Amino acid sequence: MPGSTIVEDIELIIEDIGGGGGNRPPGGGDDGEGGKRRGPQSPSSRRYATAIILAILSIVMFFMAMASAFIFLRATSKLWVPLRLPWLIWVNTAVLLLSSGVMELARRRLALADIQRFRNLWSAATLLGVLFLIGQLAAWRQLIRAGFYVATNQASSFFYIFTGLHGLHLLGGLCALFYVAFRRFERAKVSRTVAAEVASYYWHFMDGLWIFLLALLYFGK
Amino acid sequence: MVSYDSSEGPGSRSGVSSSGFFARTVLNSDHKRIGTSYLWLALGSVLLGMFLSLLMRIHLVWPSVQIPFLNGFGDDPARYTSLTLWHGSLMIFLVLTTAPQAGFGNYFLPLQIGAREMAFPAMNLFSFWTTAASLVGMTCAFLVHPEAGITLWTASVALFCLAALLTALNFSVTTLDLRACGMTLPRMPLTVWGWFINAILSLLIFSILLAACVFLLSDRLLGSQFFSPLTFLSRQPAPLAQSTLLSLWQRLFWFFAQADVYVAILPCFGIVSHLLSTFSRKRVWSERAAVLALCGVGVFGFCIWGQHMFSSGLNPWSPLVFSLLASSLGLPACVLVLVWFGTLWKAKIQLNTAMLFALGFVSLFLAGGVSGLFLARNDLASAAISNDFVTGHFHLVMGVAATFAILGALFFWFPKIFARRLNESLGKVHFWLTFAGVYCVFMPMHWLGLMTHSRIAGGDFTGAAPLDSSLRTFITVATILTVAAQAIFVVNFVGTLWRGRKSEERNPWQATTLEWTVSSPPPSGNFGASEPVVYRGAYEFDTSAVSEDFTAQNLAPNAPEAGRQARRIAKFIAKET
Repeated sequence: MPGSTIVEDIELIIEDIGGGGGNRPPGGGDDGEGGKRRGPQSPSSRRYATAIILAILSIVMFFMAMASAFIFLRATSKLWVPLRLPWLIWVNTAVLLLSSGVMELARRRLALADIQRFRNLWSAATLLGVLFLIGQLAAWRQLIRAGFYVATNQASSFFYIFTGLHGLHLLGGLCALFYVAFRRFERAKVSRTVAAEVASYYWHFMDGLWIFLLALLYFGK
Repeated sequence: MVSYDSSEGPGSRSGVSSSGFFARTVLNSDHKRIGTSYLWLALGSVLLGMFLSLLMRIHLVWPSVQIPFLNGFGDDPARYTSLTLWHGSLMIFLVLTTAPQAGFGNYFLPLQIGAREMAFPAMNLFSFWTTAASLVGMTCAFLVHPEAGITLWTASVALFCLAALLTALNFSVTTLDLRACGMTLPRMPLTVWGWFINAILSLLIFSILLAACVFLLSDRLLGSQFFSPLTFLSRQPAPLAQSTLLSLWQRLFWFFAQADVYVAILPCFGIVSHLLSTFSRKRVWSERAAVLALCGVGVFGFCIWGQHMFSSGLNPWSPLVFSLLASSLGLPACVLVLVWFGTLWKAKIQLNTAMLFALGFVSLFLAGGVSGLFLARNDLASAAISNDFVTGHFHLVMGVAATFAILGALFFWFPKIFARRLNESLGKVHFWLTFAGVYCVFMPMHWLGLMTHSRIAGGDFTGAAPLDSSLRTFITVATILTVAAQAIFVVNFVGTLWRGRKSEERNPWQATTLEWTVSSPPPSGNFGASEPVVYRGAYEFDTSAVSEDFTAQNLAPNAPEAGRQARRIAKFIAKET
């Protein structure tokens, strides 16, 4: 083929820019997955960040549908009885916010390659997450003791549905946190940094989502 | 053309072939395997759904005929409604939403963008089995007691939503991050664009339906009162209360359902454009406009749920807005139709079965789309959304058109999936019978609807009653014949799979995209040892060429062209550094 040398040149140039399936960093991705590297990250790690961002978009739509139903019923329903939020909910909120803060501190340690301190801080953040969930269950108990069940009135239904579904999503986040805390990354497909980053996106999002739902429940009561 | 050898590449999982039956079938997360499984699921559902429609038509015209399915549970009239629900759920969820996207998309998206797998194979496998479970659930919902059936149906739909969300996530991440070197966005085939935009749209709307299902399940199982009649009765006159009560569910449902029409049709747009270009041996005419139009369909489709709620007591201004938005959907649709005709213009058209189905799609889409303009007008639609007009409209434009695209895609990709070719003569007979059949079934439905409408509007139609009933009989007879014609397809399909001649030909259609550069069926890991590199757009056909009239996407440019590219790349690097 006459132009083969030029073609080879181009392929070399393309590889320089950051593409092509030439040599990969060992252990960098699940081996042999085709794709191009545009930035410093290999494609396999970028896909996790992309996925979590898109998933967040979808979860936002899910809760927006619920929130719009809340606003709609709040405005039109005759059955609406305002609900007094259990005080424990405010403690839980503080715990969750604290958890997010601790997680950021942990990621800072990770950036400095201080794995030991990272582990400790990350575990603390995870523990705070577990505490939040337990706290939410305790808040349910408070409500039940006060005589408010799922079926009592629409406001209480919304309270249980919102906290329940948020808790379910948070449980998924906790799994990710446990994964980052206990996984031995020497043998994993992703690096610790990427896993921590992706998990933290989701965790902070859970934080923001909770604040939003709480504001809705508090101001919309 | 450059092709990839089928030797074991780094990405192939050679472990799969040596492991047990269970791991090879149930737990095999290969995207091609999952894609074909979805197609089988859809094929089963479409045959069952078609049979159900036959029962419904027969019951409508000859109500005295004993139909085994309809007289369970004490001959409840609600049985007919639940039969309709079963037919609709199978067709919408398991066929129209699943086959073009999850079926063909799973199989060909990674191949066309030069990836070896979907981004998350295990999640893909999970979505498939969840979808299969939802099919079982929807079917059982019909067979158990109605009260339990509704709960089961809602739970199945929630499961389906979950599966669809995960599939959509997988598709969009794969398209964004796993493209081969050189597969830039403008070089992506229009099929990939269709799947990608569709995945984004699905990601947004299926979560709405999931939320609605959660509310409904909570009402039925936990006793909450989100959709409770008590909510409104105390405050409003009864008929109005009824409509307001439903309006929350309607909003949530239609937000999903109107957009789901485009979820079904978007990948079909992609497939049809692809087929038209390949068999016209011409570039897609103004490809960028087509991509923009696909995006436009996605955006408008997302915003017009209120179109279904003109008569539900909305704010008087909102029908105007929704009506405008719904009519604006005609704009991207027109662009697409222009693109198709522009592609066909003065082309050397190869009229094989796949192409016939693609052309059939264009015809059905045009015919059904025109009646859509009537429905987008709030004054007409709210006066009488007479069932027949709507039924005719959406079956023509969504159901049948999408089915034609699916059949075209099947004829087109069959040699790649099964390494055999469907019989062309049988395919053509099947096409013409079906094409004539669906027009005979669904066009008269439009007339029925218009007649009902005129009667409500006060026109003198006293003489129309016999015409009315003879039209209905005509539709039923046409339905029976059209369904019977599908036997030709089944014979063709099963016969080819069973006794068809094997042909390992890589590229029987002389197409340009990457899936045709690998052996048929593609090996595990898709591209063998070497990584695919893409050098050009997806539709480089040139009929003036001497030897081959097409240029595969992975063919390296020749000397002068390569020099130009090298200079462009050098300039790019200079700018970056």
